[in-house]
Amino acid sequence: MGFLTVLRKMKQKEKEMRILMLGLDNAGKTTILKRFNGEEIDTISPTLGFNIKTLEHRDYKLNMWDVGGQKSLRSYWRNYFECTDGLIWVVDSADKRRLEDCMTELHKLLKEERLAGATLLVFANKQDLPGAFPAEDLKNILELDKIKTHHWKIVWCSAVTGENLLNGIDWLIDDIAARIFTLD
Amino acid sequence: MDIIQGRCDKVTNLLHKRELERKSDIEKKLQDKKAILAEHERIEVFETTFGEKRLEIENALNLAPSLSTRELPNHLDTIFKNILNLQKYGASSKIFLRMYDVEKCHQCIHDLTTRAKDLEEKLMPKKKFGFKNKSKVVAPINGHSKDVVDYCSQPTFKFDDNLCGFENRYGETLILPSSEIYKKDVRIRKVENCVIKLYGTPSTLHLNQLKNCLVFCGPVSTSIFAENCTSSKLVIACQQLRLHSSTDIHIYLHVTSRAIIEDCSEVLVAPYNFRYEGLDDDFNNSGLDPEVNHWSTLDDFNWLNVERQSPNWNILSDSERISDWNNYTLPAR
Repeated sequence: MGFLTVLRKMKQKEKEMRILMLGLDNAGKTTILKRFNGEEIDTISPTLGFNIKTLEHRDYKLNMWDVGGQKSLRSYWRNYFECTDGLIWVVDSADKRRLEDCMTELHKLLKEERLAGATLLVFANKQDLPGAFPAEDLKNILELDKIKTHHWKIVWCSAVTGENLLNGIDWLIDDIAARIFTLD
Repeated sequence: MDIIQGRCDKVTNLLHKRELERKSDIEKKLQDKKAILAEHERIEVFETTFGEKRLEIENALNLAPSLSTRELPNHLDTIFKNILNLQKYGASSKIFLRMYDVEKCHQCIHDLTTRAKDLEEKLMPKKKFGFKNKSKVVAPINGHSKDVVDYCSQPTFKFDDNLCGFENRYGETLILPSSEIYKKDVRIRKVENCVIKLYGTPSTLHLNQLKNCLVFCGPVSTSIFAENCTSSKLVIACQQLRLHSSTDIHIYLHVTSRAIIEDCSEVLVAPYNFRYEGLDDDFNNSGLDPEVNHWSTLDDFNWLNVERQSPNWNILSDSERISDWNNYTLPAR
């Protein structure tokens, strides 16, 4: 029995998933996390380092890691890659100027060996803003169709209003569950 | 007599010959008959074996829906293997089969395969996600689809019509009233030597490549993101401030959570002092608490030492603060 098998068995027992939330700074990662957890969102500061939250959702235990997106923190992202079941990539859909940056960072990330096999959920956040790109456009701009190494889906949402967050998370959980808890 | 004898012999010979011919004919016919029979037998054997195997597979297929998900993969695997074996058997028997039989055999195998596949699809749905069915949409950026060569160049996104803000301005006074920026994302980029006044409560504010500018803004309900700005003064209120890659910036700040800087230098802060009619209402609308202001503590992403203060920012001394903006003019550049 390999180490991974042991890990998988343990996870199976606990129904635990490790979810890593990344994206450029000011994308709304912490706001999504706090909104999902039902906390206040108007006191959120830019993330210096990371936040970790364990949430119970649909009988699953979700370990959510929210790592700051500032340029100077991006080189530390790799410290959080190990054992990631799901990756949430948060995009500020209204920040048109940095979408190219956003695309480059995402595709760079997906080349990481330690993230291989992780399910990718792209949140097209800030849809409450009038200038926000719809998710379908972002799919093209971020060249998501090029991704052949991960299961992915792009879902629009607004962390401020809380709209459609559950939809996205539920898809992520289903996809991970189908992979690690059944048919092994 | 001799003649009679001779004729008689002739006739006997003839008869004998005929007899032999007849016999060989019968023999031949018998053999032919036997051969045909054998062929029939072989076809018969094939038909029974084929039928049996087919029935076996069909039974297995019928059984599949009642199985648990644990047993299912193996079960379906066996079915597919059996179908393959059947197909091989059919192919090797092709030599003695009639066209009709070959055709029938093919049809049967085809039916079994489709049934098995349908069953697999139904009972063990592949993850909803599929790459194959995705139609490849080529993103038309700026009206033309990019090719390999274009790919290297910077994609430029069209600023849409409902964009709120200013771009490429020089030496002007730019004003937006409350009704135009309420709950919008306001962006200002590539602006030089300008005074910008935003009355009201935008949802977010983006500042990029500002040079020698003076920016006034009412309370921004979420974040202000500023990048690549130089020698400017910002009089801003927001929940979060993120300032990147900027130098020589004076910020008259109201921030209810935190302000951060990254790759910045010569940043000086003072408390917010933009005053206009309706400011209190705007604070109310934005959801910002006018009583909470953390203007005097910035987090510097390039300075993680907690014991010593970051050299990249400081508090603007009282004597240098501008209290009356009405009499202030931009330094000439």
